[in-house]
Amino acid sequence: MLEGINMIGDLEWEVPIGYVPNMRVPGRFFLSRALAETLEEGAVRQLANVATLPGIVKHSLAMPDIHWGYGFPIGGVAAFDMTEGVISPGGVGFDINCGVRLITTPLTETDLAGKKRELIERLFAAVPTGVGAKSTLRVSNKELADIMVSGARWAVERGLGTGADLIRCEEEGAMPGADPGAVSAKARQRGLPQLGTLGAGNHFLEVQVVREIVDPEAAKVYGVTEGQVCFMVHCGSRGLGHQVATDHLRVLERALGKYGILLPDRQLACAPIDSPEGRAYYGAMVCAANYAWTNRQVIMHEARNVFAQMYGTDYDEMPLIYDVAHNVAKFERHDVDGASMEVCVHRKGATRAFGPNAPGIPREYAAVGQPVIIPGSMGTSSYLLHGTTTAMQKTWGSTCHGAGRVLSRSQAKKEVRGKELREQLAKKGILVRASHDSVLAEEAPEVYKPSHEVVRVVHEAGLSGIVARLDPLGVIKG
Amino acid sequence: MSFEELDHTADVLMRVRGATITEIFSDAGRAMFHIMYGPCEDRGIVRQISLEAEDLESLLIDYLSELLFITDVENIVFCTFEVDIQGTRLSAAIRGEPFDPARHSAGALIKGISYFGLEIVKEEEAYVVDIIFDI
Repeated sequence: MLEGINMIGDLEWEVPIGYVPNMRVPGRFFLSRALAETLEEGAVRQLANVATLPGIVKHSLAMPDIHWGYGFPIGGVAAFDMTEGVISPGGVGFDINCGVRLITTPLTETDLAGKKRELIERLFAAVPTGVGAKSTLRVSNKELADIMVSGARWAVERGLGTGADLIRCEEEGAMPGADPGAVSAKARQRGLPQLGTLGAGNHFLEVQVVREIVDPEAAKVYGVTEGQVCFMVHCGSRGLGHQVATDHLRVLERALGKYGILLPDRQLACAPIDSPEGRAYYGAMVCAANYAWTNRQVIMHEARNVFAQMYGTDYDEMPLIYDVAHNVAKFERHDVDGASMEVCVHRKGATRAFGPNAPGIPREYAAVGQPVIIPGSMGTSSYLLHGTTTAMQKTWGSTCHGAGRVLSRSQAKKEVRGKELREQLAKKGILVRASHDSVLAEEAPEVYKPSHEVVRVVHEAGLSGIVARLDPLGVIKG
Repeated sequence: MSFEELDHTADVLMRVRGATITEIFSDAGRAMFHIMYGPCEDRGIVRQISLEAEDLESLLIDYLSELLFITDVENIVFCTFEVDIQGTRLSAAIRGEPFDPARHSAGALIKGISYFGLEIVKEEEAYVVDIIFDI
C-alpha cells in the first residue's frame, strides 16, 4: 500500500487528515491487497482533495474500483450538508447519469443457437452506436423539455415500454427538481438528435446468460434464474449531459471567489447547494439524468422489439429487473450519528446500493434491498447484487460501479489489436459488433481490473451481496 | 506532430507543445480531433469562432468545448485551426470535412475537457500544456 495510508479493516483503508492540506475529514476506501497493487497515488490524492470541500460529512469515500479521474476520483462518493455544503459537477462527471439496466428474457442459450450472429447484427442495426451516430427518433424542442422533466415516463406514454418499467428504475426514471431553464440552447441542440443512441467508449448493449445463482432467495425476488438469457444496457445522457456539465462547470468556476471557496483542483469547482449557481447546476443535472433514463428506456424498447421479432417473445415476458445510475448527485436522507439528516450525495463511478426496507426502492424488492448492476468489461462477467444495511451505514448506501481501468488507452492500443481480440472472443462464443475494430482494443478485458475481484471486495466488505453472475454471449459497442 | 499522448488510465492525456500560444491552441484542436476521428482532410467547410475568457487556461477549455459542440451538432470533422489570440480573446477559422462513418469511426468520443492539471507553462523554448480529455 502507498505510504501515509492506514489499514483500518481487512478491506478498509483510511487516508488521514493532512494527506493533502486543508482536509476537513479523513478519506476512506475499500480495497483488497491484490487491488492495492494497482492503486494510483493520483487517485488517493483526488480522494483527499474531495475531503477539503466545504460541508463534507463524515468521510471522503471511494469504492474498490477507485482510479485516477479528474475532480473526484472515479469510484468516489461524498455527502454534503444541505446548508454548509456544496454541489460539484466534478463529483458527477461529464456523463451525467451514466448507468446500467438489466432485462431478463424467457429464452435460454439453446434458443439462441445458430441465430446468435443474426441477433447481434439486428441489435446493432436497431440501436445507433458510435461516434456521430444519430437517432431515427425525431424529437421536438417541446418534447425534449417534457423528457427533461418526465424522464422515462415520456417514453412509456408513447408506447416505448410499460408502466412496470418505471417502478423498476432508480427514481422511477425521473428525479424531481428538473429545471429546463438551466439547460442551455447548446445542450438541447445536442440532445435533440441523440435520444435512443448508445454513444461510444465503454458503453454497450450486451446479451448475457445467467451462469450462476449465488443468492437463491434474492434471485427469486428479482425473478432471475440460472440459464436465463438477459440483456444489459450501459449508457448515459449523451451530448446533452456533456454540455450541461461543461456549461455549469464554467459558471461554478467563475463563482468560486464570490463564495470564498479555495480549491486544490479547478475541476472540483462547486457552489453552496442552496445558491443560485448550485441550484441551477442541480436543476440542469436532473434534466440530463432524466434524459439518460429516457435514453436507456428507448434503447431497451428497441432491443425488446428485436427479441420479439426474432423469437416471438412477448414484450411483457422481458421485464426490466432494475436501472441504476452511477454518475449523479442526489438529495437523500441518511442516519448520521443516530439522527436522520438530509445530505447531497455525489456518486461518481459509484452505484446506489440501498439496503432492505430503505425508502425509494421498489416495494417488491424491499425484503432484499435494491438490485445493484455491475457491468463487466468486454468479454468478462457482469454481476447482479443487492444493497445492504452495511452500505447504508458506511457508504451512504453506495457500492462500486464496474471494474475500473488499469491500462491506459495508449498502452491498450500497443498491446491489443481489435481484430485479434474480436476473433479470440468469438472462439469463446462471445460475438462482438462495433463500428470499428480499433474501439475494441481500448476496451479489452486486460485494460480493466478483474471485475470478479472488485465485486468480491464489495461483497466481503458487506457493501452489497452477490446475487448472480452473468456471462456475455454477444455485445454491440460504439 | 507537436502533440503526444501520455499514459492515463481512465482518460486521454495529451501533451501539447508550441513556440507560441497560438500554436498551442491550434495543436490542441488538432490533438482533440485526432483522438476523436483519426485522419481528416480540408474539404472546404469553414467555421468561425470568437471567444473571450478571464485567463488563457479557461480560454483553451472554452475553445475546445466549442469545437466539441460544433462537431457534435454539425457532424463536421476539423483538421486545420487558424487561431488568432489577442490577450485572452480568441478568433479562429477552422476547416474540415463532413463526418464520414467509413473513414472517421476509429476514434473515441470525447465527453468533456478537464480542468485537472491544466496549466499553460512556458519552458525555455516553448509553451507546454497537458490536457485531459474525458472519453
